[in-house]
Amino acid sequence: MSQESTIVIDPVTRIEGHSKITLHLNEDGRVEEARFHVTQFRGFEKLCEGRPFYEMPSLMARICGICPVSHLIASAKACDSLLAVRIPPTADKLRRIFGLAQVTQSHALSLFHLSSPDLLFGMDADPAKSNIFGVAEANKELALDGIKLRQFGQKIIERLGGKRIHPAWIVPGGVSEPLTEANRDAILWSLPDALATAERTLEWFKSTQERFREEISTFGNFPTMFMGIVKKDNGLTFYDGKLRIVDASGHVVADDLDPTQYSDYIGEKVEPWSYLKSTYYKPKGFPDGVYRVGPLARLNVADRCGTPRADQELAEFHELQRTAVLSSFHYHHARLIEILYCIERLESLLNDPEILSKHVRAVARPNALEGVGACEAPRGTLFHHYKIDEQGLIRWVNLVIATGHNNLAMNRSVLQVAKHFVHGKKLTPGMLNRVEAVIRCYDPCLSCSTHAIGQMPLCVELVSPEGEVLDSVVRE
Amino acid sequence: MPRVLIVAYGNPLRCDDGVAWHAAEALESRFSSSEVEIVRLHQLAPEVAEAVRHRDLILFIDAACPTDVENGMPGEIRVNEIPQPATPKDDAAQFSHVYSPVKILNLASELYREGPKAFVITVAGERFDHGDGLSDAVAAAVPTLVAKVVEIVRGQISNS
Repeated sequence: MSQESTIVIDPVTRIEGHSKITLHLNEDGRVEEARFHVTQFRGFEKLCEGRPFYEMPSLMARICGICPVSHLIASAKACDSLLAVRIPPTADKLRRIFGLAQVTQSHALSLFHLSSPDLLFGMDADPAKSNIFGVAEANKELALDGIKLRQFGQKIIERLGGKRIHPAWIVPGGVSEPLTEANRDAILWSLPDALATAERTLEWFKSTQERFREEISTFGNFPTMFMGIVKKDNGLTFYDGKLRIVDASGHVVADDLDPTQYSDYIGEKVEPWSYLKSTYYKPKGFPDGVYRVGPLARLNVADRCGTPRADQELAEFHELQRTAVLSSFHYHHARLIEILYCIERLESLLNDPEILSKHVRAVARPNALEGVGACEAPRGTLFHHYKIDEQGLIRWVNLVIATGHNNLAMNRSVLQVAKHFVHGKKLTPGMLNRVEAVIRCYDPCLSCSTHAIGQMPLCVELVSPEGEVLDSVVRE
Repeated sequence: MPRVLIVAYGNPLRCDDGVAWHAAEALESRFSSSEVEIVRLHQLAPEVAEAVRHRDLILFIDAACPTDVENGMPGEIRVNEIPQPATPKDDAAQFSHVYSPVKILNLASELYREGPKAFVITVAGERFDHGDGLSDAVAAAVPTLVAKVVEIVRGQISNS
């Protein structure tokens, strides 16, 4: 009789959102299959139907409390298409500033609050210590730097948008208010310290890498394609451009793709065991069309960052592997390079002579019944696709979220790590932490931004088909 | 910088969970901006530890589940002073989704060596489903909540 068993990790800790991981063991006690289940259902694509299209940016911002600005941008761009307007140049720059600030604070959250405990204490550390409070005790400067970089990004968002979470400043046609001279100067004044903090963190991060050789070789280290939006000159960008896809060797698979025509080459598949859809590159079919998005993908797809310090670091990053950089462990490194880019790019945008212009919004009535907006969220490419009726009411919405692009790769990564580190009938915190840690590399945003009431105890049990508990790990 | 900080946190789109935001709106007119700073947040995060610096008094205002409060009834207001130094054992939550006032003060103490006087003021809620209005019981409690906050703050200012 088969002695197969299942290990369940529920919830997965130190990520944004709710999920669980199941590991299916064969009769030899080796992991045979692994799945990353997203257990929360949001339903935004349906609840928006019937709403006036101009409400969409504010509604969509509430999908997430970590990356609302990305949803604001993608949604507003879709609405710009419905209006058939070209927004004023200053509004374009202001939206970019908003997006760069958000990427900075989001990446800081991922690295400092969610992943730094693993990097500082190692994967076998006591889970009770592996949190921001443990980091504060062990490395005060690291904890202070994390708070500092988050504050830096959030204060920019608050100065421009009026509040840190779910700001309503980005609207169809542009932005609602121009930038004041006082706010511009305050942000410029804060840049040098933020840059120094980012540089310091990058150096610390690089110093930790030698301890994680085994993780680097097993954390999502397999060939996939990579996708991202880049500028016309193939430079890094978060706001607007063409879609580009490269393969694991770094060769271009597709270029100059129009993001608004995403459905021509991006397919979506629903799996029965998760609320997160999986996307794939249609020409290669499912599941061979697996690709990754986000920081690692962007730095594989882009030829340059376009800012001096970030480009220096990008050159060093590309030397990690002769091919495209494949290991998902390097997402952390890529995130830090992107923080550098964001801060440097903020300076050039804020010093633009037209940045204080009062002309920040194009006004029109709907002139199209369908619109698509795309941008690079912190976690990867984001699409908002709307259809409206003649009265401007939403009739249909499709959202392709950044984390969904990575779903196939995340599942494969969990399997790779589990096969390497989980075995036998005995569970160790280190085994389970590595399975969770590979998910944290992707920094999935599973939309848990609202006030959570209550505890989330973690209990993992290894149960035989006969119901006998072979082993269990409890975190409470 | 104002020496008193009021942190009103909760989700204003989850009915009673937003009671602190309603209270914050009423409190804006009761103090000068040089005396008291009021911040509204969806949830507590490590960055709040930085905001706690250089303060004499911190007030955390939040909704509470009636089941989490012994003998709690919707609308009931509880005021608890956070003992100093707050220890990790005072707060068992280990997940970042549930940063608490105690954890924030611990972090501030660890990072900045500061330990201001601090209170947690909660209102037991009745409804936490989707919506931006308060239940009758919680709405009726807001004036008392505001009065309690004013009393504590005025006491602190007059003793300074």
